[in-house]
Amino acid sequence: MTAYCLQPHQQNNTTMIGSLEQLVEIVKNRKVKPRMAVTWAQDENTLGAVEKAVKENMIAASLYGNRPMIEKVSRKLGIDTGIFEILHIDNEVAAAKETVRAVKAGEADILMKGLIGTDKFIRAVLDKETGLMKPKAVLSYVCAVDIPDYHKLLFITDTAVLPFPDLDQKVAMAEYAISMAGKFGIEKPKVALIGASEKMGKHFQNAVDYAVMCKMAERGQISPCIMDGPLDIFLACDKQSLAIKAVDTPVGGDADILLFPTLEACNPFYKGLMLFGRGELAGMLMGTQSPVVLMSRSESEKSKFYCIALSCLMAENN
Amino acid sequence: MILKKLSELKNLLEDKPVRRLALAAAHDHQSLLAVLKASRDNIVKPILIGDENEIRRIAGENGYELENIKIIHEKDIEKTSELAVKMVSNHEADVLMKGKVGTSTLLKHVLDKTWGLRTGNLLSHIAVFEVETYHKLFAVTDVAMNIAPNLKDKISIVNNSVTCLNMLGVELPKVAVLGAVEMVNESMQATMDAALLSKMNQRDQIKNCIIDGPLAFDNAISLESAIHKGIRSEVAGDTDLLLMPDIEVGNVLYKSLVFFAKANVASMILGAAAPIVLTSRSDSEQAKYDSILLAAASAK
Repeated sequence: MTAYCLQPHQQNNTTMIGSLEQLVEIVKNRKVKPRMAVTWAQDENTLGAVEKAVKENMIAASLYGNRPMIEKVSRKLGIDTGIFEILHIDNEVAAAKETVRAVKAGEADILMKGLIGTDKFIRAVLDKETGLMKPKAVLSYVCAVDIPDYHKLLFITDTAVLPFPDLDQKVAMAEYAISMAGKFGIEKPKVALIGASEKMGKHFQNAVDYAVMCKMAERGQISPCIMDGPLDIFLACDKQSLAIKAVDTPVGGDADILLFPTLEACNPFYKGLMLFGRGELAGMLMGTQSPVVLMSRSESEKSKFYCIALSCLMAENN
Repeated sequence: MILKKLSELKNLLEDKPVRRLALAAAHDHQSLLAVLKASRDNIVKPILIGDENEIRRIAGENGYELENIKIIHEKDIEKTSELAVKMVSNHEADVLMKGKVGTSTLLKHVLDKTWGLRTGNLLSHIAVFEVETYHKLFAVTDVAMNIAPNLKDKISIVNNSVTCLNMLGVELPKVAVLGAVEMVNESMQATMDAALLSKMNQRDQIKNCIIDGPLAFDNAISLESAIHKGIRSEVAGDTDLLLMPDIEVGNVLYKSLVFFAKANVASMILGAAAPIVLTSRSDSEQAKYDSILLAAASAK
């Protein structure tokens, strides 16, 4: 089989994090707590999740928003606002600008979106002069998903940002997922590039991109990983189907990372896992200089909490 | 089986009936003499189609007897091509060869829809090289027929060549898809096609061979160079077939191997119902002889 599997296994010095609960345990009670700047932090969802993270000794939080509003919502939820730093700003766009500035200046380690509209928030993050992007980076989204029926954490991308990623964007997505898996202690993750079939159909641009990516991985043009695709989800995640179909793939039904061809394939996949597979997730934006927490209001309480835990893990050495 | 010299192709002819070769417009000095020499060495059984008087004169002047050699007298060059092609399609001959007739004229008849030698495959050229500095024979494609093959063409060219190499006893040929670099680069289509061909091979959509690419020429033929660059490849350093990105690269490589590396070369056209020997005037006598040998060895 492909010779790139024969690379000597790298020494693994990082603790393996095998579940999202374990992730929480790891980032809790650290001596130096990451400081989080929350943009327009005046809704129940955001305040609830941030309060929990602060109380669990995970982060220190600065809330940027309308002070009376923050106090009113906190009172309603029974939250003691004394555990936060509150910075009064009376305009959501200004709050976005100010939180981005604070993170960029190193006054905070993590940025989190509150009640502000996603587009306004992202615009502040993407701003070429004042924003938070790494130079020439692609903005994308990676989720770590904890599913009871899978034997390990599964990293999936892109659930939220790139609708139709081209080759360069797919490469960036893979790099982000690999770097996130690395933070979980997986040094050479198995990356499955997901399609409807494992065959190289002539009419599928995704299959073409995937073949190119596999060769790039083989030639060391992508961070160390074991990559194969196109693969369907069965071949990627189920050893039994692999045996039935007799496809020779180094991912071998044991994928750590699933890279999807489009947002509309990835987004329903993760929502299906949440709804029908009893899954929980931790996700964040990638491509930024510091972690940015941005989650949907419909995530479960647990998942919201895990998202913050993930940003703490990713904030290390950032 | 690993062949080191073109002359070893003769071993493949043992225990097989002698292949019949139809030479179109056989009254051509160079090709006729190459065929008669091959016939004397029992490599092929010629069928000479052309101007009989001329054929007899050329043979006589060069000391060849034409006893037991079938001659079909036909002065019209167009007609000689038609007859030669028809003999192959009627299974009266196993190999087709071009004599004193233009390539385009002969190919027109090869591609004739009713009695031509079409198989549905693309026609492609293969050249097999014997070079002192490489540990076995290796093939290069396509240096003469397809100008700027697209991905689909490249698949056909690989398939044609692999079938041929299988016939020559190379069971699982190692195919290097050549690029200027071994990295995938979006602005070099050859490297993108190479990645696709590799994956199609992994998925068994291109069979009976091992494909890797992009490989630069040095990585393809020298294991040391591949190791130096940190390339892990089953093909690197042990290539049986080099797939060229286009005709310019292929043609220049072909000629530099002949002129600078003093390579011996045999070549033919694949993809038709039978091998076609299409040598050019500039080919040496030895090259013509070896091409006939190659065609005979790879004929079904």
